[in-house]
Amino acid sequence: MIPNGAEVFKLSRLSIAWLSIIFGIVWAVCWSIGVGLPMLLEGQFGERVTLINEILKAVTPIVAILVFIPINAMFMVLIERRALAIFTVRKGPNRVGPDGNLQTMADAVKLLLKEDITPTGADAFMFTLAPILFFAPSIFGSLPLLAAVTNNHDLFKILNLPTGIFYILASASLPVVALVMAGWSSNNKYSLVGGLRSAAQAISYEIPLVFSLITVCLMAGTLDVVKIAQQQAGGILNWNILGGGALAGLNQFFAAIISGQGADKALAAFYPYGGLSYVAALVLVPCVFMSFCLYLTSACAEINRIPFDLPEAESELVSGYNTEYSGIKFAIFFLAEFTNLFVVASITTVMFLGGGDNPIPPYLLDKFTPFPQMIAALRETPLVKDLHLINPETLFATFWVIAKVYSLVFFAILIRGTLPRFRIDQLMNFGWKRLIPLSLIIFVLVVFARGFVISHG
Amino acid sequence: MATEFQDRVDLKTDEMIINMGPQHPATHGVLRLLLNLDGETVKHVEPVLGHLHRAQEWQGQNRTWFQYQALIDRVDYLSGMFTSWAMARACESIDGMVVPPRAEYLRVIVGEMNRITSHLLWLGTYLIDLGAMFGFPFYPFREREKLFDLFEEIAGQRMMYNYIRIGGVLRDPKPQWFDKLSKFLDEFPDRIDEYEAIVTENPIFLNRTKGIGILKQSVAKDYAVTGPCARCSGIPIDLRKDKPYSIYPEIEFESIGYNKDGDTWDRYMARILEMRESIKIIRQCLAKIPEGDIIAKKQAAGMRVKAGEGFAAVESPRGILGCYVISTGTDKPYRFRWRNPSFCNLSVLPELLVGAPIADIMAIFGSIDVILPDVDR
Repeated sequence: MIPNGAEVFKLSRLSIAWLSIIFGIVWAVCWSIGVGLPMLLEGQFGERVTLINEILKAVTPIVAILVFIPINAMFMVLIERRALAIFTVRKGPNRVGPDGNLQTMADAVKLLLKEDITPTGADAFMFTLAPILFFAPSIFGSLPLLAAVTNNHDLFKILNLPTGIFYILASASLPVVALVMAGWSSNNKYSLVGGLRSAAQAISYEIPLVFSLITVCLMAGTLDVVKIAQQQAGGILNWNILGGGALAGLNQFFAAIISGQGADKALAAFYPYGGLSYVAALVLVPCVFMSFCLYLTSACAEINRIPFDLPEAESELVSGYNTEYSGIKFAIFFLAEFTNLFVVASITTVMFLGGGDNPIPPYLLDKFTPFPQMIAALRETPLVKDLHLINPETLFATFWVIAKVYSLVFFAILIRGTLPRFRIDQLMNFGWKRLIPLSLIIFVLVVFARGFVISHG
Repeated sequence: MATEFQDRVDLKTDEMIINMGPQHPATHGVLRLLLNLDGETVKHVEPVLGHLHRAQEWQGQNRTWFQYQALIDRVDYLSGMFTSWAMARACESIDGMVVPPRAEYLRVIVGEMNRITSHLLWLGTYLIDLGAMFGFPFYPFREREKLFDLFEEIAGQRMMYNYIRIGGVLRDPKPQWFDKLSKFLDEFPDRIDEYEAIVTENPIFLNRTKGIGILKQSVAKDYAVTGPCARCSGIPIDLRKDKPYSIYPEIEFESIGYNKDGDTWDRYMARILEMRESIKIIRQCLAKIPEGDIIAKKQAAGMRVKAGEGFAAVESPRGILGCYVISTGTDKPYRFRWRNPSFCNLSVLPELLVGAPIADIMAIFGSIDVILPDVDR
C-alpha cells in the first residue's frame, strides 16, 4: 500500500498540537497548585502556612493524573481512529469540530448523558463497583511512574517508592477482579464467558510479564523505578533494551575515545573477566531484548488489545464483559482501557527505553551540539530561577518520555490495524507453552551472564 | 478442556444454552443459533431460520413479470446479477427465445464482475469475523467500489442492478466502459497479491483457519452443498463446466478447488483463486465480444411469457442457484420456486460446529459464505 503522505503529515501535525495542549494544561495545573499557590501564600502569610503548602504539594501529583487521564484518553481515542482510518483507506472522524478534532469530546458527552441502565437480575452493587475497581488501579498504580518519567521532579518526589515496580505490578493485577465481577454481575451469558476468559488470560500472561520485568530489575539491582530510569542515563547504549548495562562499558569506551583519554581502562573496568565478559555481554543483549518483546506481547494480552482481545471479542461475545454496560459506566471502562495502554507504554519506556534519557549520548551532545550551552542559558532566565516554571532536566526528560510513549502507543495501534484475533485455547497454549518457558530461560541466562559484566546494579 | 478435566475429577457441570443472534454483530444479518455449550465447547447447534422471510416466491405470483424481474435482485443482494440471470434463463427456456451473442457475452462479463464483488465482500467480512476488526477489511471494499462504479454506469444502480432481462440485457455499454473495465482488470491482480500478502501466510490466520470446520465429502453430498464449499471438499461440481450454459464452453478457465482438505483455509483460498479465474474469464470475453443486438425482444411493462414451465440454474458465487417457473400465459407468473445455494450450505452448519469452541463458530460460519436473505427469501 502507498501510505497517504498528506494524511500522515496531517496526523503528525495534529498529534503535536494535541500533545502540546495536553501537557501544557497538565503542567499549568501542577505548577499553579504545587509551586504558584504555595509561593503566593508564603509571600502573604510567611511561615504560618507551611503545613498547607506541604499538603498542596502532596496533592499535586494526584490532581495532575486526574486532569491528565481524561484528556489523554480523548486524544488517544481520536488518534487511534485517525491512524486506523489511514491504515484502512478511510477518512476517519471529520465532522465534529475543525477536522473532526472534537469528535471524542462529543462521544464523551454523549456517553455521560446516556441513560445508565442496570439490567434486570443483575447484582446492582457489584455491577456498579466493577468499573470503579477497574479504573482505580490505573490511577493509583501509575503514580510511581510519574516520578520516574519526570526525572524525579521536586513535585513528584513524594511518589518515589523504594519498591516501585512491585507496587505497579501489584496494582496492575487488580483490574482482572473487576472484569470477572462485571462479567458475573451482568446476568448475561456473553458477559460471563468474557469475564472468565479475561481471568484465565490475565493470570496466564501475568507470569511472563512479571518475569520479563524481573529480568530488568535483576540487571538494575533495584525495584525502584526512579533509580532504574536514572541508571540508564547516557545514551542508547546504556538503555535496558540493549543488555541492561552490558554495553555501558562500550559507551564509556567511546566516551574515552572522543575525549582522548585512556580507552583500554574503561573496557577493563566494565568487562573484568576478559573474553568471558564479552561472551556474557553478547548473551545479555539478545536476552534482554527478548524480554522486551515478551513484555510487549504479554502486556498486550494484559490490557486486552488485539490480537489478544478475547474477553471482548466482538464477533463471538458481542462485547464480552461490558456488553450490558451503558452510559457513564461504559465510559469508565473505555477510559480505563486506554489509560492502561498508556500506563503499559510508560512502564516499557521506563524499564526498557531509558525513561527520559536522550538516545544520543551526552559526550556527543557536549562536543558537537550547542544544547548544553542552551540549557545553561535557560537556567539563568527568571522563568526558571524565580518562578520555577520550567525545570530544564524535567523538560527534556518529559519530551523524550512523550516521544517514546506515544511511539509505543502508535505501535499498538498499528498491530491492532493488522492482526486477527487468537482463539482462546491457542492463546493459552501460546502463553503457557511458549512465553513462560522462554521467559524462564531468559531469566536463568541473565542470572548467570550478569556475574561476568559490571552492569547497572 | 472441561471434559478432560471431568474424566479425572468427578465434577458436576451443566451445559449452558446461549442464544446467538438474531441480534449479534457477526451473524451476517439475522441468523439465530441456539447453542448448547459445555464451557466454551459447542455440544449442540440449532439454526433458527425465517427472521428475514419476505415471501419472495409468493410476491412473484402477485407481480407482473416486469415488476418481479426488478424485485429478485434482492433475493441475494450481493450477487444480484445471478438471480436475474437464473430467472431470465428459466423464462427464455419456456419461450424458446434465442439470446443475441453480444448479450450473452455481456451477461458473462457482468456475472463474473459480480462474482468478484461478492467474494471481495466475503473476504472483508470474514476477516472481521476472525477479529481483524479495524485493519484489513476495508481494502477489499476499495476495489468493490470501483466495480460498483462500473455497474452504476451500465445498470444505473450499484447493488440492485436489474440489468439482465428476459431475452438479453438492459443496456449496451459505451466503448469507454470496456476501457475502464480492462484498466481495472490490469491492476486488480496486484490488489489480490496485497490481500494475500497480509492474510494468506499470517500465522494467526493460519492458526485460526487450518484444520477447523472440515467438511467431509460424504457430508457435503448428503446436504447438497454446492459452490466453492463443495469443490473444496473434493466434489467437482461447477455448472459452468458440468452443464455449460451461455458462452462458458467457448472460454478457457479452471474450476477451482478440487481435492482439498475441505477446511476453512481451503474455502478462503478457493475464493481468492476464483477471483483470479474471473479476471481471466472477463479478459477473454472482452477480447471476443461481438457487435450486435443486446436483447431479443424489447421489453414492455405488460410483457408476457408463453404458457409452460421451465427450470434454469446458474453457478452463483455461493453455489448452484436454480429457478423454477410456471407460466399460464398471463401477465403474471403462476408459480416461482427458487433453489438457493445459501439455504443448502447453511443446513450443513450443525455438522461442522459440534465440538468446536465458541470462537470457531464465526470462523466456520463465515467461511461457508451465507447470505441470510438468500436463505430465507
